[in-house]
Amino acid sequence: MRYQGYIGRYLEVDLTTGNIETKPLDEALVEGYLGGNGIGTRFLWDRVPEGVDPLSPENLLIFATGPLNGTLMPNSGRMELIFKSPLTGIYGDSNTGGFLGPELKFAGFDLVIFKGRSPHPVYLWIEDGRAELRDAGHLWGKDTFETEELLQKELRDPGIKVAGIGPAGENLVRYASVQATTTRSFGRSGGGAVMGSKNLKAMAVRGFGPVRIADPERFYAVATRSHFGVRGNDIYPAVSRYGTPGIVAIMNRIGRFPTKNFQLGGYDEVEKISAETLREKHFVRDIACFGCPVGCDKIYRVDDGPHAGLTVRSFEYESIGGFGASLLNPRLDAIMKANDLCDRLGLDVISAGRSISFAMELYQRDILKKEAFDGLDPAWGNMEAVFELLRRIAYKEGIGALLAEGTRRAAAEIGHGADHYAMEVKGQEIAAQDGRAQQSMGLAHATSNRGADHLKGFPTIDETGYPAEARRRYGEKYLPDMADPRSTKHKGFLIKDGEDFAAVVDSVGTCKSGGNFVLAQIYWPDVAEAVRYATGMDVDEDGLKRIGERVYNLQRAYNALHGITRKDDRLPRRFMEEPNYQSTPEGSVCRLEEMLPEYYSLRGWDAENGLPTKSRLRRLGLDDVIERLGPKLKA
Amino acid sequence: MRIQLNPEKCTGCQICESFCSFKKERMVWPAKSRISVLKWEQEGVFIPFVCQQCERAACYEVCPVGAIARNEKTGAMEIDASRCLGCKMCVTACPFGGVAFDPDQGRAIKCDLCGGDPECVKMCPTGALTFDREEKSALARKRQGAEKLAKYIEAIGR
Repeated sequence: MRYQGYIGRYLEVDLTTGNIETKPLDEALVEGYLGGNGIGTRFLWDRVPEGVDPLSPENLLIFATGPLNGTLMPNSGRMELIFKSPLTGIYGDSNTGGFLGPELKFAGFDLVIFKGRSPHPVYLWIEDGRAELRDAGHLWGKDTFETEELLQKELRDPGIKVAGIGPAGENLVRYASVQATTTRSFGRSGGGAVMGSKNLKAMAVRGFGPVRIADPERFYAVATRSHFGVRGNDIYPAVSRYGTPGIVAIMNRIGRFPTKNFQLGGYDEVEKISAETLREKHFVRDIACFGCPVGCDKIYRVDDGPHAGLTVRSFEYESIGGFGASLLNPRLDAIMKANDLCDRLGLDVISAGRSISFAMELYQRDILKKEAFDGLDPAWGNMEAVFELLRRIAYKEGIGALLAEGTRRAAAEIGHGADHYAMEVKGQEIAAQDGRAQQSMGLAHATSNRGADHLKGFPTIDETGYPAEARRRYGEKYLPDMADPRSTKHKGFLIKDGEDFAAVVDSVGTCKSGGNFVLAQIYWPDVAEAVRYATGMDVDEDGLKRIGERVYNLQRAYNALHGITRKDDRLPRRFMEEPNYQSTPEGSVCRLEEMLPEYYSLRGWDAENGLPTKSRLRRLGLDDVIERLGPKLKA
Repeated sequence: MRIQLNPEKCTGCQICESFCSFKKERMVWPAKSRISVLKWEQEGVFIPFVCQQCERAACYEVCPVGAIARNEKTGAMEIDASRCLGCKMCVTACPFGGVAFDPDQGRAIKCDLCGGDPECVKMCPTGALTFDREEKSALARKRQGAEKLAKYIEAIGR
């Protein structure tokens, strides 16, 4: 491997046989796909065909870093996990912050690929270029916090970094998370269930080696420029002080704060769960991920009441949305408790919260009867019932077993029109991001390759209107519509550009919230420079854009193998038909059909079937995709 | 002068370690960083730790070949790599790990204040590391301590 930035080798662990191989990272592979998200996508396309059950030994679980992980670039601690999703049945990935990604590189590996299924519970211990599978019988059944603590004791080093599953992953809950150093999560799409299906309890990593840089002077220049750029950004003080909870009040003001399972776009008790209240009552201190000057993470503590003594970290906007407004719960300490339970049990906060608000709405509408809840009162705001539901989901007890399947499967099972209240796209639950109050967000949910998702297109530019950012990134010609959340004009372009850029950011290993999308400071030219100087690869801005587009198209092609077409780029009826009156007085719905044609056209996808055209695939060097998808594609 | 540590402001991001190692080794290599952040993750307590350039420096006292000397301009205790035997006496003598042994180069390494412009301080985003005259930093601490009193006096209008 002639490129720096990478370590140049990865681990492939066959859990069925216990065989561990060290393999060289292929130069052509990184030239085409960079790392992280891109490389993981390519492995999935090559090695996990249609027909493979996501919870079978044939699925892969790919922990992947990128060339900028563990370098000088701001917030270069982000790591990807790629797999076929048991929640959606299609392409799946998840991303965590923290320190795991850099540690893996310092330990001497770019990726770890797991395949097969171990005959008994195991964990993988990686230390400085060596790896071994160890028995995890004593860890099975433990929550994620206990698991990490036991591993740190057993391996006699408080500095080890752990990725592990809790009971939810062991029990194959379809949206089980993989927790990375306990409170940071590979949350979305059910990677925890894939890990559980492989009898893999955890991966522990420790390393003391270097990450080499191809052109130290020039790389140092782009890295320091990016650091001081982020630190000088207008919204840096606010993001740094409040973290993601800072947008609670803002989202509520524009009617984009999902309340009562999206029945409303705003919550009348919002000030009780706002960032200001959170800071005043619970703030302890700021903490940061690897290399991050923002430090949006905080430690919060509950000092009194039933949850006194509870401490939480990585407590985000999504928890406050999902376990606050969406459940009509105004108690911050109870939201913190639910967040803590999800972290310990190993559940995706977003899908778990949305599954419970779905169940509560079904109860409200008499589709689910009280008996179904086996002694619980699933009334809006009853958090005692929520805590118990989370536990039952993780252990698949009673109604928990149904909700553990995700809202789409649960709705199909329940019938009686329950699907109308399942707030999902392609089987994945929608985060606290209303696509009616911000049109581009609706489009983002509809087109994301892993199902409903705000983080692929990640339209921050028109969230509340940032004309300065819109001008800086796209120039004058797209204004004023580009910065107007209610306009559908140019949003196809915004989302396409966002998806391609996100694919690259998730492939190099930096953070979308810490400078690339939130604080839209770092953009194509900066990342291109950073990759070029870190690796020595001959890639410029256009080359990088082509890689982003290639990765995104390959994910779409992978989904096409699984039957995804234009018909699946849709939104729940609630977004399309039930107006959100908190957004505009006359009520707004998502005008998806106004945006999709522009989106498909820019993507070079056929407007009828929604699949990549042969000519676009050829331009992206994806000739083998044409061969495999064959008759499904148009010229 | 020395690098002053303000652990209450440290977020544990380890930017100091990355940039220190890059300056010294031309690679991102936290294990070779002269400064280290000691972390108690669950409690969220992070303590940046680096040589404090002792007045009566144990490393200097025990070096058998006089390879350690004070740079009069910066105040740093510096190791002359060409004279270092790699005997590790300084590593053993330092009571808080201010000197480390680099097995790859076979010599002791420590903070040399980057010739008077420490990289870690330049890149620390929170003020957990500062580099100032002792008198000024002592006053800064007093000021921090007196802040509540100042607010109180302002509030009662005296």
